[in-house]
Amino acid sequence: MSSNKKSPYVSFLGSQNFRLRIVLSTLSGKPIKIEKIRSTDLNPGLKDYEISFLRLMESVTNGSQIEISYTGTTVIYRPGIIVGGSHTHNCPPSKPVGYFVEPLLYLAPFSKKKFSIVLRGITSSHNDAGVEAIKWGLLPILEKFGVRECALHTLKRGSPPLGGGEVHLVVDTLLAQPITIHELERPMINAIKGVSYSTRVSPSLVNRMIDGAKKVLKNVGCQVNITADVWRGENSGKSPGWGITLIGETKKGWCYLAEAIGDSGAIPEEVGEMVAYHLLEEIESSGAIGRTQLPLAITFMVIGKEDIGRLRIAKAEIDERFVVLLRDIKTIFGTEVLLKEVDDSSDHSDDYIVTIKGNGFTNSNKKIA
Amino acid sequence: MEQSNKAHRKTKEKNTAKKKLHTQGHNAKAFAVSAPGKMARQMQRSSDVNERKLHVPMVDRTPDDDPPPVIVAVVGPPGTGKTTLIKSLIRRMTKTTLNDINGPITVVSGKHRRLTFIECPADDLNSMVDVAKIADLVLLLMDGNFGFEMETMEFLNIAQTHGMPRVLGVTTHLDLFRSQSTLRTSKKRLKHRFWTEVYQGAKLFYLSGVINGRYPDREILNLSRFISVMKFRPLKWRNEHPYLLADRITDLTHPEKIEREGKQIDRKVALYGYLHGTALPSISGTKVHIAGVGDFPISQVEKLPDPCPTPGYQQKLDDYEREKMKEEGNTTVTPKRRKRLDDKDKLIYAPMSDVGGILMDKDAVYINVGKKNEDESFVPGQERGEGEKLVTNLQLAEKSIAENFEGVGIQLFSNGTELHSVEPEEDVVDEEEEQDKDGDKGRANMRNPRVYGKSVQEEDDEIDLDAIPSDDENNDVEEEGEPRMVEIDFENNGKDTNTAETDSEFELSDNDDNWETGVASKLQANKTKRRRKWDIGKLIYMNNIEPQDCIKRWKGEDEDDENEDESDIENEEQDFFTKKAGITDQSKETFNDLEKFVPYFEKMEKLVEKWKTFDSINDRFIGASMKSKKESKAGDSNEDEVFGDFEDLEDEPENEGNEDVVEEDDGGAQSDDSFTNFDKEEKKDLTMDEERELNATKKEKYRKQFEIEEGENFKEDDPDNEFDTWYELQKAKMAKQLEINKTELDDMTPEQRQKIEGYKAGSYVRIVFDDVPMEFIENFDARFPIIMGGLLPTELKFGIIKGRLRRHRWHKKILKTNDPLVISLGWRRFQTLPIYTTTDSRTRTRMLKYTPEHTFCNASFYGPLCSPNTPFCGIQIVANSDTGGGFRIASTGVVEELDVDTEIVKKLKLIGYPYKIFKNTAFIKDMFSSAMEVARFEGAQIKTVSGIRGEIKRALSKPDGHFRATFEDKILMSDTVILRSWYPVRINRFYNPVTSLLLEKKTEWKGVRLTGKIRADMKIETPTNPDSAYKKVERVERRFNGLKIPKAVQRDLPFKSQIHQMKPQKKKTYMAKRAVVMGGEEKKARAFMQKVLTISRAKDEKRKSKKADQRKERLKRLAKAEEAKIDKDKEKKKEYFAKNGKRSSTTEDSRSSKRR
Repeated sequence: MSSNKKSPYVSFLGSQNFRLRIVLSTLSGKPIKIEKIRSTDLNPGLKDYEISFLRLMESVTNGSQIEISYTGTTVIYRPGIIVGGSHTHNCPPSKPVGYFVEPLLYLAPFSKKKFSIVLRGITSSHNDAGVEAIKWGLLPILEKFGVRECALHTLKRGSPPLGGGEVHLVVDTLLAQPITIHELERPMINAIKGVSYSTRVSPSLVNRMIDGAKKVLKNVGCQVNITADVWRGENSGKSPGWGITLIGETKKGWCYLAEAIGDSGAIPEEVGEMVAYHLLEEIESSGAIGRTQLPLAITFMVIGKEDIGRLRIAKAEIDERFVVLLRDIKTIFGTEVLLKEVDDSSDHSDDYIVTIKGNGFTNSNKKIA
Repeated sequence: MEQSNKAHRKTKEKNTAKKKLHTQGHNAKAFAVSAPGKMARQMQRSSDVNERKLHVPMVDRTPDDDPPPVIVAVVGPPGTGKTTLIKSLIRRMTKTTLNDINGPITVVSGKHRRLTFIECPADDLNSMVDVAKIADLVLLLMDGNFGFEMETMEFLNIAQTHGMPRVLGVTTHLDLFRSQSTLRTSKKRLKHRFWTEVYQGAKLFYLSGVINGRYPDREILNLSRFISVMKFRPLKWRNEHPYLLADRITDLTHPEKIEREGKQIDRKVALYGYLHGTALPSISGTKVHIAGVGDFPISQVEKLPDPCPTPGYQQKLDDYEREKMKEEGNTTVTPKRRKRLDDKDKLIYAPMSDVGGILMDKDAVYINVGKKNEDESFVPGQERGEGEKLVTNLQLAEKSIAENFEGVGIQLFSNGTELHSVEPEEDVVDEEEEQDKDGDKGRANMRNPRVYGKSVQEEDDEIDLDAIPSDDENNDVEEEGEPRMVEIDFENNGKDTNTAETDSEFELSDNDDNWETGVASKLQANKTKRRRKWDIGKLIYMNNIEPQDCIKRWKGEDEDDENEDESDIENEEQDFFTKKAGITDQSKETFNDLEKFVPYFEKMEKLVEKWKTFDSINDRFIGASMKSKKESKAGDSNEDEVFGDFEDLEDEPENEGNEDVVEEDDGGAQSDDSFTNFDKEEKKDLTMDEERELNATKKEKYRKQFEIEEGENFKEDDPDNEFDTWYELQKAKMAKQLEINKTELDDMTPEQRQKIEGYKAGSYVRIVFDDVPMEFIENFDARFPIIMGGLLPTELKFGIIKGRLRRHRWHKKILKTNDPLVISLGWRRFQTLPIYTTTDSRTRTRMLKYTPEHTFCNASFYGPLCSPNTPFCGIQIVANSDTGGGFRIASTGVVEELDVDTEIVKKLKLIGYPYKIFKNTAFIKDMFSSAMEVARFEGAQIKTVSGIRGEIKRALSKPDGHFRATFEDKILMSDTVILRSWYPVRINRFYNPVTSLLLEKKTEWKGVRLTGKIRADMKIETPTNPDSAYKKVERVERRFNGLKIPKAVQRDLPFKSQIHQMKPQKKKTYMAKRAVVMGGEEKKARAFMQKVLTISRAKDEKRKSKKADQRKERLKRLAKAEEAKIDKDKEKKKEYFAKNGKRSSTTEDSRSSKRR
């Protein structure tokens, strides 16, 4: 990191992990410079949703400075302090609200004021986190780190492509430091729950999805509880759409999740089945925490107290995303993560224990009474 | 003669009341409450005492094994005997006599305790601030004759704001008291004053006179015992930051560079010292603050062997050695356990002082050659003895060894650059020292094997950084090191094995293309090598390897491992290739879509195939495991077939895993079965103990099962947890976490530990900084402590700090907004321009011109941020020459909130006068100067002085700036109209670090002058606004004329509204007319009373006059006495100054110049 000494920025290349980098920079307070954002692309530079994300960051922070180069391929971000408060953000149609809510979860507990943000746009998509995935999949993880009062309310659902949905993110907990967690066992799943939802389509689709999922999960040996959530009228957005989210719940508070939405022409049963299979896959390839929740958990562990926290992950979870995540964390925080194979002779899993020493981060934005 | 005695009469068994109490086998009264009131009081008191003991639970991050030395600061006004005290203590602890105290002195005081003594320069406020921030124990010296002096009070107040360390008072100069009783009373007075300042019952030591340049041995012994058993509570700030008290400082700048570019160039400086507080992160470029110098990124940290190890630590080393010897089969010597410190263990380490006649200073080692008045020794040509000759010869040498080899570098590779040594001789010495020490206790300092991903140039720095202290893990690491080198070798096709060892990963990634093909061809031959695993932990952080490559390499190895049992290598090779291609494709996809939330999943068909049974994840479901066990027997046979059918390479690792899990499951099931069988069949054969054990295990199993199914309850919420109080629970939690930390860190290899933990407290490190101002070195004075404090990420940012602040009640003046104030916050001392504010019922922050007299106000200032709840103190002037003897701590406060900007307003009243008044409308002039301004304030609320409210309506067209306003009532021409508005105040972004250590005269740092000082210097009068002056309020009595109603009007008024005026009475009333005549008894009584009163009045008169006379007399006497006294005083003064006047003035001079 000899280059750091000369330039005041921590620099990154490429468009990957854009949100996380911005978020980490905001948490650490270090200015970053992201270069070569899609520089070889036909459509170079930042996409509209990334710009929108930067806007959102600007509104929830105070004193942030964002410089975007003429071509949009370079961004300099000087973070301010996280203030939170009440805002309304209109998400572009290219990305669902999940894309914007996800990074906010990293920041919300460490802000000056409580977060209360209304986001308007699409509420579910193929690639990004749906509302249920965040509500049932990510918020429980936050709760493990001490963020007890957080909620995501779905005010309106909006399916792609036109959207028209509205969600309200409320995070009332202002943490000084996340709790140091220790999870050395794979938690046992006690129930599978899920939501099958639809907007502006026949309610039968919803039930067909549930049937499909239940067919797969029938023999799994635990309670399967999938609710139907059919949205009608003015709160159901502008486009027809349907999807299903399944969560494997554990007693300890961890959870595994899988979700998908149906395209036009897709068979609901198949979508249901697919998600069920995905959930099984996810369970199999996860330790204490699923792949989708990993960045959140790891980041919260890094910014924890100066104690050692441990988390069990499966071998399958160590993939490129994980590597990029850890590298980004190292570049910004300097914290390294230790991976240790589980040497538990009783179960022959190839799981790893992620050992992280928190960097003693404290929420300095919070005002004392 | 025989004595006749009465026969012995046996005492009768009387059933007394006392006996009756004992009938039950115990004294029934013994445990009854005899005095309930007293008992209640006792209980109250004991619970009070217990409560007082409680502190907010805080984690103590000082390591238990080999903690850093305790910093003992000796503080006091000049001439109270600080140096003497240190000398005495050092002599007591190490039997060494020091001539001069310079810099910190570390001594061993117990088996596990070391002490670092520092003397706080009495005349420097900056040093006092710094010392208060790091001292664990303060020996507060005071002169018994004077009691508390300003410095003492200042120090105590500074210390209080920075997390009060333990304070031990030491009173000296007690031999100057002549009478025992005055000594006693003054001791008592001092003690109580000290108690109010520190805490009730704080220990105060009394040292009587100085004997042989030291305090009496007995008293010092007591003090040293007290110090060496003292316990310390963790302090918040120090528990969150690493810090170091430099006991040695070296200028590492190349001398030639200084010669070439002049001595003004920035220096490369190394600080040495013990780390305290939390662990110092081992990332290069970490910013730290050197108090009095500034913020610097660390360019290099190196852990050095402990120069002053504790006997406990050495014992541990010895034990380790012995273990090793035992392993090697040598005979072992039983260790000698000692109860007291050996003389050889009484180490002292004071590089800046003259221990043993050797003084290590900056970049040279000085040898004390004796006193001046003796014969000169070490004169070239006139040496006395061999030793002196050696030394003088050394002096003759023109060039040092290093200089001789100047510019000669080592070239490792033919294409490599020449490597030059970066550090001058000093380091060589260090390493030699290390090696010397290695001789008897094994290598103390471990140089880390090369780390990947560094260019050759970088490596040079990195190696030092990664140098690791472990004596214990020494061998392991070396063993580990080698295979990794081989591994690289493999990566490079095994062509150039030699270069590969030091190769950088850049080359590796370049060779990637060959790699795949090369591997294939060499696969068979290299098989043994291939089995070496890539460590994912390392791979992840090799930035030059693409993430997908990273995973590929790591997984690739595994693939191989799993396949290695198969004999068909040909087959495997092919698999390998196809697999590779698959992975790259897939990874390309995912990599591009890293932002994607949904992770990668297999194709549907595969999933359907795979999840025909749930056996692989059955153990993940509660309840499912039981069900599956029944089925598993049936499923077992199918299972292999299922997997056999489907030989997908992608899935193999997972399948493999699955099988394992299944097997294990079966095993579990089987053992379960056998368990029950066992239970039934062999129960008879078991002994009692075995049976019990069996039951216990069974119970444990059920308990676990229950726990899993119920989920582990959060202990805190559980009212039945084993801890009585919340406090105990918290303590237990912390202890648990610390234990986890310890075990986890101990499990790591030293290299990993270094990376994860950093340099932990207690290690002796050398920290190198680049680009330190030359003044730091040139003006270095060992008297002033050098303190390095680590900074958290927030503390590197700048912004507005809002705090609660209060003028110190001993500071004479109130503070003025925007007057410079030196604030000591965190590690830093900086001058800034605070704005004092208050909140108007939380709606706005209003600026205050001055701090309130006796209460808190808020202060906002610009500076480096510091997390809320951090206390700070403000000082107006730190330069010694500028301060009159007053109390210098101007304010104390605490950080409340951080922000990037603030909204502070001050009140602005715009005044206007009505010039035309209609009914409720008036035209107002003189408030604004243009119609535009009026437009800005349209609709604004206004008010007249008499309290009539109104509103600005519209600007008038004609006289510019005049406007029309309406009021709730008609206003008077004499009224003044006021518009109250708020004007934003900007905070001046002024930050001026107090760089006192860069000055030649360190006590004379002068920043921006105070407003008052500037005015005084420049002879500017304080501007006064005549309107602001308070004048006597003169209110003219307003006279109102009576209401006169014309007769015509009056006549027409209805009766109700008629003004009723009665005519004056013409006739005298009876009461006025009658005459009262006294008579008889009444008249007599009246006359008598009058007589009595007259007599008494006459008496009073007499008494009064007498008293006045006496008073006059007395005043006369007093005046006379006063006169006599003044005369006497004059006489005395005359006499005194005739004798002492000149001498005292000279001693005054010498006092300030001389340091004691």
